[in-house]
Amino acid sequence: MGKLRQIYNRFLDKRIPVARQFQLNHKSIFIFPSKFGWLYLVLCLGIFILGTNYQNNLMLLLCFFLVSLFLLNLFVAYLNFAKISVQLGKTHNEFVGERAQLPLWFNLPKNSTQGPHGLVELGFLRQSAQLQHDLDSNQNPVKIAFVCEERGPIKLPRVTLSSFYPMGLFRCWTHLAFESNILAYPKPVPCSVQLTSQQQSLEPESTQSQESGFDDFDSLKNYRPGEPLYHVAWKQFAKGQGMYSKQFSSSVSVSGWLNLIPCSADVLEVKLGQLCHQVNELTRRGQHFGLDLGHHKIEPDSGPLHQQRCLEALARFSWSAS
Amino acid sequence: MIYLNRNLSHLLLSLALVILSVSLFEPVLSWIQVLVFCAFVMRISLYLGIQKHSPSIRTLNLLALLSGLVLAYFSWQLGVLLGMVNLLVMACSLKLMQLRNQRDYYQLVASVLFLISCGFIFEQSIIYSLIFGLCTVLTLLSLLAHFSPTIPFTRLNKRLLIMTLQAIPIGILLFFGMPKLAPFWQMPTSQSAETGLSDTLTPGDIANLSQSTELAFRVTFDDQIPPVQERYWRALVMENFDGKSWTISRQRNQLKRNNFVRNDEFRPRLSGPFYRYEVLASASNQRWLFAMDIAVPDDQRSDGAIWQSYDYQLMSKKPLISNFKYRVKSFPQEDLNFTDYAFDRQINRSIPTNGNLRTRDWARNLRKMAGSDRAYIEALLDHFRTGNYRYTLKPELMPVDQIDTFLFDKQAGFCAHYASAMAFALRVVGIPARVVAGYQGGEMRENDYLSVYQYDAHAWIEAWVDESGWQRFDPTAAVAPDRISLGLQAAVEDEGSFLDNRTFSLAKLKSVAWINAVRLGLADLDYFWSRWVLGFNTEAQKDLFKTLLGNLSTGRLAALSLGTFAAIGLLLAIFYLPNWHPRKVHPADKIYNDAQKILSSYKIHRAHWQGPLEFAQKVQSFCNDKAGQAFTRLSKLYIASQYKKSDGNHELAKKQIRMMRSELRKLKTALNNPG
Repeated sequence: MGKLRQIYNRFLDKRIPVARQFQLNHKSIFIFPSKFGWLYLVLCLGIFILGTNYQNNLMLLLCFFLVSLFLLNLFVAYLNFAKISVQLGKTHNEFVGERAQLPLWFNLPKNSTQGPHGLVELGFLRQSAQLQHDLDSNQNPVKIAFVCEERGPIKLPRVTLSSFYPMGLFRCWTHLAFESNILAYPKPVPCSVQLTSQQQSLEPESTQSQESGFDDFDSLKNYRPGEPLYHVAWKQFAKGQGMYSKQFSSSVSVSGWLNLIPCSADVLEVKLGQLCHQVNELTRRGQHFGLDLGHHKIEPDSGPLHQQRCLEALARFSWSAS
Repeated sequence: MIYLNRNLSHLLLSLALVILSVSLFEPVLSWIQVLVFCAFVMRISLYLGIQKHSPSIRTLNLLALLSGLVLAYFSWQLGVLLGMVNLLVMACSLKLMQLRNQRDYYQLVASVLFLISCGFIFEQSIIYSLIFGLCTVLTLLSLLAHFSPTIPFTRLNKRLLIMTLQAIPIGILLFFGMPKLAPFWQMPTSQSAETGLSDTLTPGDIANLSQSTELAFRVTFDDQIPPVQERYWRALVMENFDGKSWTISRQRNQLKRNNFVRNDEFRPRLSGPFYRYEVLASASNQRWLFAMDIAVPDDQRSDGAIWQSYDYQLMSKKPLISNFKYRVKSFPQEDLNFTDYAFDRQINRSIPTNGNLRTRDWARNLRKMAGSDRAYIEALLDHFRTGNYRYTLKPELMPVDQIDTFLFDKQAGFCAHYASAMAFALRVVGIPARVVAGYQGGEMRENDYLSVYQYDAHAWIEAWVDESGWQRFDPTAAVAPDRISLGLQAAVEDEGSFLDNRTFSLAKLKSVAWINAVRLGLADLDYFWSRWVLGFNTEAQKDLFKTLLGNLSTGRLAALSLGTFAAIGLLLAIFYLPNWHPRKVHPADKIYNDAQKILSSYKIHRAHWQGPLEFAQKVQSFCNDKAGQAFTRLSKLYIASQYKKSDGNHELAKKQIRMMRSELRKLKTALNNPG
């Protein structure tokens, strides 16, 4: 079974290579009578037998009309399906276990009569269809969801599009492999934030500090020009002790580091998940932090862009790279 | 999958089913019709949102069980065919109520299509074919609507029209090209479907037939058309009289069976003038055929399908389940004395031992007075002619001693009364006599063809008087000469009883010129229909092949079937090749793409994120000035053509294209001659 599946996959890879945009054509379209199509053929055969037995020309005419309609449907179905052109829109990275949305954009010609018609079912290869999209409804994009299961760059499974237009006698389908740059971040594992002041210290000090409020008074420092005047410690200045400015904990950029401790492969994912959680948590608090993954270091910084860089590093992490 | 209440495709399908079941009002039981109608109303109310939910499965199962039981009870009387059709209609109506998922829908569509084809068993006229065609179209429309639910209805119609117009020629090619096969097995027919004459003649039967405007058969004469007085179409010979009705004699049937087994067919040697004609008999589910005396099959194919019996009758070897065409040669001047007199006399002189005593006495007296058999027959006919007899379609009931009552009390009757009375009067005095049932007359359509309707049914007698054999006598002609020369309507004109059971019938209004013209036009159409569509049988197909191929060798037949498929392929190519590359490239796109190609050959590629203007800047930085400027102008023109609406200003659009072409040329030359 697995062998056959492999052969089939290879055949698909050759026939419909990975791309960002697809214009369906004879290479990418498969077409075969649907279940209803077979029922219809059996029906035609039944009418033929009935018509022959009763020597009834009108029955035979009806039968031949239905048969030729079947034949025409083959062409209509194919030509309609071949009008579909679809591309993958902007995707976002997701955490493992979350559903990544794949926005698929269908071409919408200016004149709607020229475009493809009918219902299209969307889903992934070897899975049941997720949703039905009506090509005549002029809605774009169509989002199908994909559950990220493994950390790292995601190789999307092939997206299956199928259509029974115009009369359900034939099923046209295709398995499209979209080029994606979706990264699956490790699944966050809740834990406490463990920042170390140094890089790569084996025993991380628990720096549970700096969790206090935004404007908690922390210490005094020599005043440097440019610092806001309202931070100046006027009490000390009045005592003639010189110009000091107050330092508040939140504005203090405590640059801690998040470290990855070398560990066995089975614990690695949990560790990465914990780091992931901490990155999210620290970003939420707006703190500075750096990420040290051994061979890959990200200098302390804050903000969403920094978070993204860290998460990407975590997503791509593997020991072998070191 | 998705279950929409406001579902056009379901509505269309219900409409198809309801029209179909109404058009099959004869075979389908009325309570099943009601069931279909209920389902239809339910669908409409679901569509309009009056009702929100279809009935539960449990309700439907209960209903199905009850209906099934009732149908099983009725099916004893219905027979196989009608039982099956009723079952199918019932199942469809229940399915229509249930209709929930994709599978239900597919099954219902298939059943409705099958039911439409079954409809053709019962009705084959043009009108019904159109109705069934409408049902087919509605079903197909429903399918289309099901798979593209948001396309406007008018566009669906257009699509179906195109597909139908494309499918029809292919279907017709298949119809003519596919070899027609003999029936695989015998199918059940419905008893009620037998039409026309029956094998028992009780006076009054033909009066019922005379209320029917159905077509019995059509005749196309090769050259000579017989005058109306000679058009006696023999169908059945009845030689057994039980005092009430005439039936086919048991001995005769026995003889026919024996002859058939021994392959002893009646083959008279005939000579003299003859009529040659082709008869197209409507489906009657009976075996007897119609021809004028003395008839023999005219060609090999008719000969193969027809059995001639010793009562000058032509029988089809199979019941006429569909229209049957055959060619006949009739020798009107030949005497009917080719058969065994002894046998014929033996079975044609017996009368019941009692009953009709007055007639017996009267006949014997008349015979004595007449002196000879011939004179006696003349006297009888004279009696009908001069006596106070009346020809009527509304004879009174004569339950006892029918012939006595008719001859001496009522003296008003229909052809069967006269024939029955005269044959009886002849048998009483020992003259062999029998009743022949068939048709007389028919309506000639401009020397083209003769239509004989059920109301032309007639009965007359034959008597064996001397060596000239069976001779035809028609007492009805003596009573009502108009019946023979002008037809039934003229004969009963005073009475006004012609087709008076039918409130609306074009045949009644023959006197109104334009209505008659319409009626005859319809008859022409019907003639064409039954001759070329319904009557296109195996033999007709062989003839067609012969005219196409010359002879019917296997090689040529194979070539013909290949040719048929080639023709179908050609048709498909004509229909679909033009659409194969449906995306027309706009000329501006083409020119811009050409320019890009040229630039790529100089290793200047446009990245997929680069807009035309940005790319033009890149080109300017890479190329010489001339080329850069040309391409910049080209890009600007391209942008204008894409984003500025020309508002139908074709001149402007054309000018833009021309300018783009010239810029493309400049670009080429500039790139080729740098510096």
